[in-house]
Amino acid sequence: MLSVEALTCSFGGVMAVSRVSFSVQRGELFGLIGPNGAGKTTLFNLITGLSAPTAGRLRYQGRDITGLRPHRIAGLGIARTFQNVRLFGELSALQNVMIARHVRTTSGLVGGVIGLPSARAEERETRRRALALLELVGLADRPDERARNFAYGDQRRLEIARALALEPELLLLDEPAAGMNSGEKRSLGGLIRGIRTRLGLTILLIEHHVPLVMDLCDRIAVLNFGELIALGAPANVQRDAAVIEAYLGDEV
Amino acid sequence: MATFLATYDFLLVSMVLAAVLALTLYLPLMAGQLSVASPGFYALGGYVAAILSTKVFHPAPGLYPVSLVLIEMAVAAVVSGILGIAVGLPALRLRGIFLALATIAFVQILGVVALNLDVTGGAIGIFGIPQPFGSQLQYMWLAIPLLLLSMLFVARLERTRTGRALIALREDELAAAAMGVDPTYHKVLAFTASAVLAGAVGAISAHFINTWNSRQGTFDTSVNLMAFVLVGGSRTFVGPVVGGLVLTALPEALRGVADVGGLPPWFAQFLRDGRLIIFGVLIALGTVFFPHGLITPGLLGRLGLGRRTGRV
Repeated sequence: MLSVEALTCSFGGVMAVSRVSFSVQRGELFGLIGPNGAGKTTLFNLITGLSAPTAGRLRYQGRDITGLRPHRIAGLGIARTFQNVRLFGELSALQNVMIARHVRTTSGLVGGVIGLPSARAEERETRRRALALLELVGLADRPDERARNFAYGDQRRLEIARALALEPELLLLDEPAAGMNSGEKRSLGGLIRGIRTRLGLTILLIEHHVPLVMDLCDRIAVLNFGELIALGAPANVQRDAAVIEAYLGDEV
Repeated sequence: MATFLATYDFLLVSMVLAAVLALTLYLPLMAGQLSVASPGFYALGGYVAAILSTKVFHPAPGLYPVSLVLIEMAVAAVVSGILGIAVGLPALRLRGIFLALATIAFVQILGVVALNLDVTGGAIGIFGIPQPFGSQLQYMWLAIPLLLLSMLFVARLERTRTGRALIALREDELAAAAMGVDPTYHKVLAFTASAVLAGAVGAISAHFINTWNSRQGTFDTSVNLMAFVLVGGSRTFVGPVVGGLVLTALPEALRGVADVGGLPPWFAQFLRDGRLIIFGVLIALGTVFFPHGLITPGLLGRLGLGRRTGRV
């Protein structure tokens, strides 16, 4: 599905990501963990085209996507959420989700403005699907509320709904549980599992909350100082000496 | 009523045309781009109409056919649109204040070009542009439909896929791109739509003002348009329209106040001639106290005029 090949990204001498290679299988729930500053979000930015790699290749469904611009990558079916929620704050929840239908709709400027029957039908469909997604993440009761008025946990779920509106095949979730209380975290775990089976998604997940990652993921990759130090099933990664050292330090 | 219309015919038509011009600034702003290039396209559209009507069409004596004015508007719109794409593609790589400066430079360059070409009449410009109407007030028959159509266009646009993409870019360009919105395409699209509309307004204005030269569509116009949008409101198309109408009438109103008498002479003089100073102060105060302008979607909602955001 996605293969990362010797991917490297340096910012003025700092190696944010250094020769990282792994591949994600179709339908897999793949976890990405590591201490702060390990390069996890940089890796997400590379995959979604927000940053350009210094070296290495990215392949998605057999196609080289290295260096494509973000909207092209989104068009290929890769959607993401952001570590520090980036909703369209002034717009309503429904509008936020409707915007992400962009790549799955086709009406142009003129057709939309004069209201061609095809554009009107598409508009109704966009609305219907957006409402269904709000329902899925449990926000259907407040479609007209401005995004910035939602509680933090709800904003994170709204961001997931927006990403799903793209009808992605690969979904990248950047710390979806950050700032959630334990009850919210549990229901988030259920939501992620649900959308994965229901929509047949492949999911790449960055998460600090270890129980959630261990519980959800099929395989986990561990990054430390930009390098891949472990890769495997959760139980094996948990026992890996290099991982324990990275998290706890070697004096222990 | 008839005396009022007859007295203020020039002002009333100017107000309507200003409202349309204010919308040309609003269009790129929908996508978060502060461009003040539209006075340049306005000037260009005026020259297109002036040249076509005085040098190309050679109409019979008497009133100039309105149909020819409409053709000039279409030609001006197309020419402006093509220049809009050509200028927009490189210029819209710039962000924020750099884009604003580049578009100011564009307006200045067009002014200098117009001043030095033969076809534009150099410093004198083009005069004696034929009149399609017997009175100034009748220009309303062109100006009002143009304003209503452009308002309808923008109002509809905000509720379509393309409009949502523009608004997403304004809210967060990076997130919009990650959701599949092509930033360059949509910015150039908004910029070009603005150029097309400004060109059409220029074509009407050339006939309306009767003479066209390099003093039309200058940096002064850019400042006026910014005042219309920043004071009127930059988050709903109603803002620029009201801003254009009211602020165009404001100097006349101030002159009226000055003529009442009893004011110190220096203050009365300031009210008569300080238009640009007053606009400058309004822009400064407006951006500090009303960053989104006086008319906001929230205000329209409270007045029962807006639609719920979710219905967009």
